[in-house]
Order: sequence, then C-alpha cells, then structure tokens
Amino acid sequence: MKKGLIQATDWYERLVHWMLALSCLFLCLTGLAMMFHSLNSIANLMGGLTVTKYLHNFTGLLFALALLLAIKMWWQEAGVFSMPEDLEWMMVAGGYLWHVDKVPEVGKYNPGQKMFFLAVAIFGLVMVITGLIMWFPLIFPAMLVRWLFVLHALGFVVIFAFFFVHLYLGTIGSPGSAPAMFSGWVTRAWLKKQHPKWLKEMEEEGTLVVSGEENKAH
Amino acid sequence: MTEKIKLFDTSKCTGCRSCQLACKQWNQLAAKQTRNTGTYQNPPDLQPNTYLVMRFQEMDDPKAGVKWFFRHHACMHCTDAACVKVCPSGALYYTDMKTVGLNRAICIACKECVTACPFDIPRYDDKTDKVYKCDMCESRIGNNMEPACAKACPTGALTWGDKDKLMKAAYKRAKDLGGDAKVYGDKFVDGTHLVYVLQEKTALYSALPTNPSVPLSIVLWKDVLKPLALLAAGGVLAGSFLHYIIHGPKTPDEDGANKMEGGE
Ligand code: HEM
Ligand code: SF4
Ligand code: SF4
Repeated sequence: MKKGLIQATDWYERLVHWMLALSCLFLCLTGLAMMFHSLNSIANLMGGLTVTKYLHNFTGLLFALALLLAIKMWWQEAGVFSMPEDLEWMMVAGGYLWHVDKVPEVGKYNPGQKMFFLAVAIFGLVMVITGLIMWFPLIFPAMLVRWLFVLHALGFVVIFAFFFVHLYLGTIGSPGSAPAMFSGWVTRAWLKKQHPKWLKEMEEEGTLVVSGEENKAH
Repeated sequence: MTEKIKLFDTSKCTGCRSCQLACKQWNQLAAKQTRNTGTYQNPPDLQPNTYLVMRFQEMDDPKAGVKWFFRHHACMHCTDAACVKVCPSGALYYTDMKTVGLNRAICIACKECVTACPFDIPRYDDKTDKVYKCDMCESRIGNNMEPACAKACPTGALTWGDKDKLMKAAYKRAKDLGGDAKVYGDKFVDGTHLVYVLQEKTALYSALPTNPSVPLSIVLWKDVLKPLALLAAGGVLAGSFLHYIIHGPKTPDEDGANKMEGGE
C-alpha cells in the first residue's frame, strides 16, 4: 500500500454498506422486472418471474437485516444534524451547485450525506414494512394492502432515484471517494477536501490511522 | 370480433343452478364438501374451484311475504379491469372479445389481483400457488360458442350476445319490469361484460357493490408512480451528467503539501 493513506472506514462498515447496497440494487432490479411488463424479460435471466418474485421477497429479508445494522452503526454520526455548521453548509449546498469560496467545514458526514442516510433509513423501513405485509396480502384487509402497494411504489421512486445520485457522487462526481468503500484507505487530500473537520478531529484525538506509520491510537 | 356481453336477468332466474353446475363441468372443477348453515346458498362463496356461484337470499316482504333473490355471481369482466392493471406477469389480460382472460401458467401468485378487484372475485389456492376466476369460457367464446353457463340456462335468464343488442334488451326489460328494476354494469369500470337486470334495489343484493370503481390507490400506483419511477431516475441521470460537465466534480486540491502523501 502507498504510504500516507488514511483509513476512513473499517471492514465492518464496508461489509454492512455492501450488504445494503447490493441487496438494494438487486431489489430494484427484481422490482423493476415485476413493475414493467416490458422488463419481464429481466426475470428470464433469473429463472422466470415466479422465481424472481421469491428472490425479491427473500432478498428483502437480507435488506432488512442490513438496514437495521446500518441504522445502528450510522445513526450517531449521520442521523443527527450538528448546528450551526450543517445549516451553513446547506445554505451553500456544500459548494456542489454553484461556486463557493469557502465551504463551511463539516465532520465525517456532510448534511447532504445525512439527508441521504435519513432518506434511506426512512424509506428503507417503509419498504421493509410494506413489503412484508404485501408478501402475505390475504391475511390483511384489502383496503390496507392496496395503499401499501402505493407506498412501496413511492419508496421505490425515491430509492431508485437516490441510488443514481449516490452512485454519481460516490464515483466520478467526487473522485477519490470510491476507495473509502472498497479498500477503506483514502488520500489526505481527498479527506481534506471532503471532510476537513473530521480530519482535524482525528488528528486532535490521535485516532488517525495512516499507512506506513505507527498506529498511535492503539 | 364484435364486443359481446353476458346478460343476467334476475327476474327470469328460478335459482335452478344449472349455470353453476355447467361451469363446474366445462372447467372440470371438483366439488368440495360443504356444511349446511341453514340456507340454500351452496357453496357459501366463490372458491378457487368455484368460478361461479348462485347467490341465494330470502327477504321478508310485508306485502308479498317471502321473496327470493337469485344472483349469478362471477367475474364481471370489466372493460377497465383493476386486476389487469395490477397483474405484474400479464397472466390476466384482455381478450379480443374484451373479456378478461387468465393464463394461469404464468401467474406468479403475488395475489395483487385478489386485493385489487372491486368485486372481490379472484381466489387464491395455496395448494397450487395460483389464482382462479371465471374466464367467460374463453375456449368456447373464441370458437363462436356461448359460455357454458349461458348454454345451460333453461329459462333465458342468462343470454350471451352482441353488446349493442343485449344492452338495448336490458334497458327495455328494466323498463317493462318497472318499480326498482334497473340495469347494472354499464355505468362503471367503463362497462362490465357481465351485465345484470336487477329487479330490486342494488343495495339489497348481498356481496354486490353499489358503486364499484378501480380503486384510487391503484390508479395512483400504476398511472402516476410507475412512470414517475423512470422519470425521476432519468432526471437524476441527466442532472448528474449536466453537473459533471457544467459544474465539474469535486476534486481534491492538488497543492504541494498533499503531493507527498500519496494518492491518485
Ligand atoms: C430497497 C428496497 C426495495 C425496493 C427498491 C423494492 C422494489 C420493488 C418494486 C419496484 C416492486 C414492484 C412494484 C410494482 O409492481 O409496482 C416491488 C414489489 C414487491 N416487493 Fe419490494 N422492494 C424493496 C424491498 C422489499 C422488501 C424488504 C420486501 C419484503 C420482504 C419486499 C416485498 C415486495 C413484494 C411482496 C412485492 C410485490 C410482488 C411480490 O409479491 O413479490 N420488497 N418491490
Ligand atoms: S370483476 Fe374483478 S376479476 Fe373480474 S375483470 Fe373486473 S377486476 Fe378483474
Ligand atoms: S396472482 Fe397471478 S393473476 Fe393475480 S395479479 Fe398476481 S400474477 Fe396476476
């Protein structure tokens, strides 16, 4: 490994992230196959629409598990806003949309990421609850189930759209981010640009893990 | 093919159940043991192996004494069918004759049609993991025969024929009967293909909705959210692309201080 890289995530964080991401992606794909007749053919790759339906349902259980783990892990860091810097950051949209001379410094997660996390947490829970009931629709009142299908579809609209936002910002939209979710090691330059306050915090607390250097924290 | 309907005239029905039996016979549906609950209603409701059931009701009328209500209860074959709208597999479909067919081989047992149908028609069987309902004898009507039930009816209460002709006959019959008699079926879900002449008020018939419609939730789900899913995702993709070429990505600063510390 290159010297001077900084560890941004540990293996557990990355494992939960990929469990959530891959199950979500697969749910989107199998969901699309059921939603559009023109996409029924996606299901043929998986052995037909009936198989796809059950794959969707059981992957839903995996997604539910990953979601709970993710919420437990990230709630403290990404579920609560810290004022006033988060508000200031939002006023300038983090410098993502127009030119900003000095973007307010934020911690490990910026408010955009926090909103993304909250949206995933809330709509993810909506998907799990509605999905579980839709799996056994006949033991619930038809009126209820009819509206749950609406909620499930609404959640899909949000999650599917957000998926692409996330994909863009995690890759070409902010170069240097992707390694955080693959190897876990990022460059100091990236950290300084994306999460300056977090970098300072880690430096002050001595929790910074730098490759090729003695681990000061442990 | 000209649009055809099945007309059921309650005033001509004697409750002989020939139609119910003919349906079982043509579709080769076994009977199930049922329990006597003190009514002639048998079986008690539609079942996976009962696509058509005659509904029996006894009504106390102070003037006429006891009155019998008979209703031929089966899929209404809606022109705007909620079940077809929700079916993800295409197992439920419109036939050339505008009736609603069911290709059970590709049904994925999601049971969405069961909750969607405003008339509570489709029935799910957990042994076969499939859904069942009347298909208006598609194999017969597609070959210029009438549905088995209509063929069996001895009194002329059930007739099968061109929509225009039978609708006219239905309105004429309702007028002739007078009183509360009315035509049921053409005024909702863009018209059903099982149409009734009801001799009494609609609300008096059991398990018959007075003003059925495709549920609002299904319209929202299928006509609004479904296209919106693609629109939103497409919008995000286009937006990301524009962001990339106009504003540019958020790249780490390449100043001297960082060069030493590795990176890409
Ligand atoms: C990221 C999460 C999820 C996404 C993106 C998703 C997406 C979808 C989509 C697009 C559909 C098709 C809806 C339509 O036809 O309009 C669907 C159907 C369905 N989903 Fe999900 N879903 C998710 C999670 C879940 C979960 C956790 C469960 C429960 C275990 C579940 C159970 C169902 C069921 C029961 C259906 C109806 C079809 C069937 O019977 O399988 N989904 N989903
Ligand atoms: S009555 Fe129900 S099952 Fe029959 S066509 Fe209409 S919606 Fe479908
Ligand atoms: S249960 Fe079968 S027929 Fe009914 S909506 Fe689902 S796939 Fe279609």
